[in-house]
Amino acid sequence: MNLATGIVNDAASSRFLVPRKAFTDQELFEKEYRAIFNRCWLYLGHASELPEPRTFVTRTVARRPILFTRDKDGEYQALFNACPHRGAMVCRERNGKAGAFMCMYHGWTFGSDGHLMTLPGGAGYPEDFKRDPQKQMVHVPRLARRGDFFFISFAEDGEDLDTFLADAGDYLDLVSQHSATGMAVVGGTQEYSIRGNWKLLAENSVDGYHAACTHSTYLDYLKNANGALGATPLSGSGIDLKNGHAVIEYSAPWGRPIASWVPLWGEEGKQEIEAIREELDKRLGSERADRLATKNRNMIIFPNLVVNDIMAITVRTFFPTAPDNMEVNAWTLAPPEESDWLRKYRLFNFTEFLGPGGFATPDDVEAIEKCQRGYAANNNDMFNDISKGMAREGEPSFDDEAQMRAFWIEWDKRMSECEG
Amino acid sequence: MKLAEGMIAPEQLLRLRVEDLLTREADLLDRWELDQWLDLYTDDAHYYVPPSDVDGDTASPDTSLFYIIDDRTRMQERVVRLKSKGAHSEWPRSKVRHLVSNVIAERTDAMILARASFMVSRAKDITHDIFVGHYRYKIAEIEGALKILEKTCVLDMEALRPHARISIIL
Repeated sequence: MNLATGIVNDAASSRFLVPRKAFTDQELFEKEYRAIFNRCWLYLGHASELPEPRTFVTRTVARRPILFTRDKDGEYQALFNACPHRGAMVCRERNGKAGAFMCMYHGWTFGSDGHLMTLPGGAGYPEDFKRDPQKQMVHVPRLARRGDFFFISFAEDGEDLDTFLADAGDYLDLVSQHSATGMAVVGGTQEYSIRGNWKLLAENSVDGYHAACTHSTYLDYLKNANGALGATPLSGSGIDLKNGHAVIEYSAPWGRPIASWVPLWGEEGKQEIEAIREELDKRLGSERADRLATKNRNMIIFPNLVVNDIMAITVRTFFPTAPDNMEVNAWTLAPPEESDWLRKYRLFNFTEFLGPGGFATPDDVEAIEKCQRGYAANNNDMFNDISKGMAREGEPSFDDEAQMRAFWIEWDKRMSECEG
Repeated sequence: MKLAEGMIAPEQLLRLRVEDLLTREADLLDRWELDQWLDLYTDDAHYYVPPSDVDGDTASPDTSLFYIIDDRTRMQERVVRLKSKGAHSEWPRSKVRHLVSNVIAERTDAMILARASFMVSRAKDITHDIFVGHYRYKIAEIEGALKILEKTCVLDMEALRPHARISIIL
């Protein structure tokens, strides 16, 4: 069957083909903003980034400047970071604590809930000017949380966050359950760009098929680094979490600071990891605790939130600025109660594989950028093959492509439903 | 102390020796002589690149998410990787040029502390990226020779954009 966007999805012949135009076309790119980024719930930030009343962070979400604050009562607020007067960005700092935000242009000053507190030269305006709804900072239409993960939607209507998240919600909860007291973002953000279409990173983030080739040097490194590798083989499954969300859940030979020990960490480390495991068993029951501790998860929440719970946890968003360019932000989460030793290993572990300076991500970037260049070869008439595993009996393997097909089917649905 | 003509003050001599070391390092990196580059470092050396949204002069890799946290073992593995054809991001190799200047060096009881400004250019294929920042070095003097104990590359950039990677050694 041919989907509306030209995607071929034919179970009978085990064919799933995505037209390369989906990665290069300027009109499709603009339509993605209308159909997807202006409609879906998008990740904004984590509760731990705003630890007390009057703290704030600024962020760009789907090309829009957002001011994410807690007001004086501690309530979370998501505001468009633009002055109602002339439109200048009001808050120009990355994060901090402030009781009020003054626009640098004419000095209009707003509370952390966005209301206009004072403006210079008020005598030049009508008496009730300050209370005019048009003169307040504008709230993002919808803000909601799942656990400590905050999402916004630029659409006034549409499904609520839990409905949108479908089966991915429980996987987010699983990440939160690494800690009894709630996970926290560790200071330091990896902020970079990739010269490729954003959907290539969505695919790559849950691609269990590419590791052996793309990341051969990383796998060599693990073999060379004495004791970095346990005996557990790579194996697991790809799971469709509905609404375009998907995860691969699998066992792997590398260490996990949440209770999967490897010899590199020594006997002292082993005792600490065992204690963590015991607490998990007690709190979550042995079945869920075992899954949390021993299984790795690479999850994509449609359209652009990746939560990888692997040798460390990364929370990553990416937004297209053009068909062939995206901006990526990545954070890491950790249990606030973990020891200094484990925190150090967690961060050491993270940087080994992940991020622009790791032993693996640069090669993912190379693959994405080379795909984008390759698309110029054939005038958009060609298709990408995403069919791996369609012919397989039983549940999809982690190195099949069922999880990518789930993403593409949702992409097709949202793009074809959007008029104009 | 007034120096006789033709003499050089100890602090100037120290700076010159550090400049020689940094110039040699830059030259080795530009020529992809990575094994020789490793020889400039002590056996317990570290190499760090903090991200742009923390204070790179004071942030600790034990408590903040960095781009690069290498101990000597991982530095060696980084070199092994970069010499392999499987390091796709650097194969074929990029053209690299390190410009190092504004060197300041001081001797403490335990070691030599140095700072320098850098611009590192990486050109490969259709991309050409410039990394700008400053180095913070800890240097040991071992049997009269200078060896690097620790190198932190603080990026004076707001984000790693348009760059996508630090696949070369800064």
